[in-house]
Amino acid sequence: MRVAFVGKGGAGKSALAGTLCRHLARRGQHVLALDLDTMAGLALSVGLGTDSARLPLGLAEHIEGKGWQVKAGLRPARLVDRFARTGPDGVRFLELGKLPGQVEPTVTVAFRYLLERFRRRGWSLVADLAAGTRQPMFGWAGFARTVLVVADPSSKSTLTARRLAKAGVGTHLVANKVQSPADLAAIEAAVPLPLVGWVPYDAGLADAERQGRAPMDAAPDAPAVRAIGELAARLLESAV
Amino acid sequence: MKIALIGKGGSGKTAIAGMLARTFARSGREVVALDCDANPNLGISLGVGLEATERLAAIRQSLDDGDAEHTPGVEELLERFGVLGPDGVRLAVVTQIDQPNPG
Repeated sequence: MRVAFVGKGGAGKSALAGTLCRHLARRGQHVLALDLDTMAGLALSVGLGTDSARLPLGLAEHIEGKGWQVKAGLRPARLVDRFARTGPDGVRFLELGKLPGQVEPTVTVAFRYLLERFRRRGWSLVADLAAGTRQPMFGWAGFARTVLVVADPSSKSTLTARRLAKAGVGTHLVANKVQSPADLAAIEAAVPLPLVGWVPYDAGLADAERQGRAPMDAAPDAPAVRAIGELAARLLESAV
Repeated sequence: MKIALIGKGGSGKTAIAGMLARTFARSGREVVALDCDANPNLGISLGVGLEATERLAAIRQSLDDGDAEHTPGVEELLERFGVLGPDGVRLAVVTQIDQPNPG
């Protein structure tokens, strides 16, 4: 499957994406977790700590009249084998980069190429996009068949989710930090996308985030982690 | 004084900016609140309401869609694209909105 997470900052994209990766891996999928955000995030939620794994500089070149292109003969699968780190449950991890010197055209062009071209039987791609609307609206979620818009009950979060939905970026809604049926109803009413899952507010998840540990390791039995497991099962059933 | 707030998404930039603006206004200062986020939500935290927050973003978007002959100056942005909120805080959305395919 090919899944992207978008939404407002703090909605829980990384925690959900990282935990989904772990669940998918435990259900037999090969998983490639991709962090497109320039702020720290997905590596911690997958359980890799602050270890980073990036593509090297120079995999793309600027050609007169054609713009930026990846260098000839570059194979996405080979890039993954060579540069992606291996995390718990065998999840492979790669990030776009965090510092200005790391995110420059040769890296960005190669990363987007990998994102759109990588295909391998039995593998799932799960990408965590930058917070807000900018990156998704520049097409970075276009590789995914399923674009999950994560929203918590705050009106800033649902407003952002609605903007993403109206711009045609999202395919499904995931409600997060739900504390009551009213919360869930408010999120659903505010965002014009089909709800594919909801995750309860969970102090166990918040504690894991505080410690910088993967929810799957720090709180494997937490209700939120179980709810994300159900989401994983649903996504696998619908073969997205 | 001029204050900017930066930080990771969800850490509370907008909420704190809104509270600072209201607090300064209540202590007698004139306050201009500028939403510099391409996904502008400051109106919600200032208390101008969801509708006005959406309207400001739409007005700002229309500026980019139209063929304005000049880049608007500070005064014009505030006058034409601002809204007066609670405690007299004036809010304007000054960043280009991310909406290439408005639907």
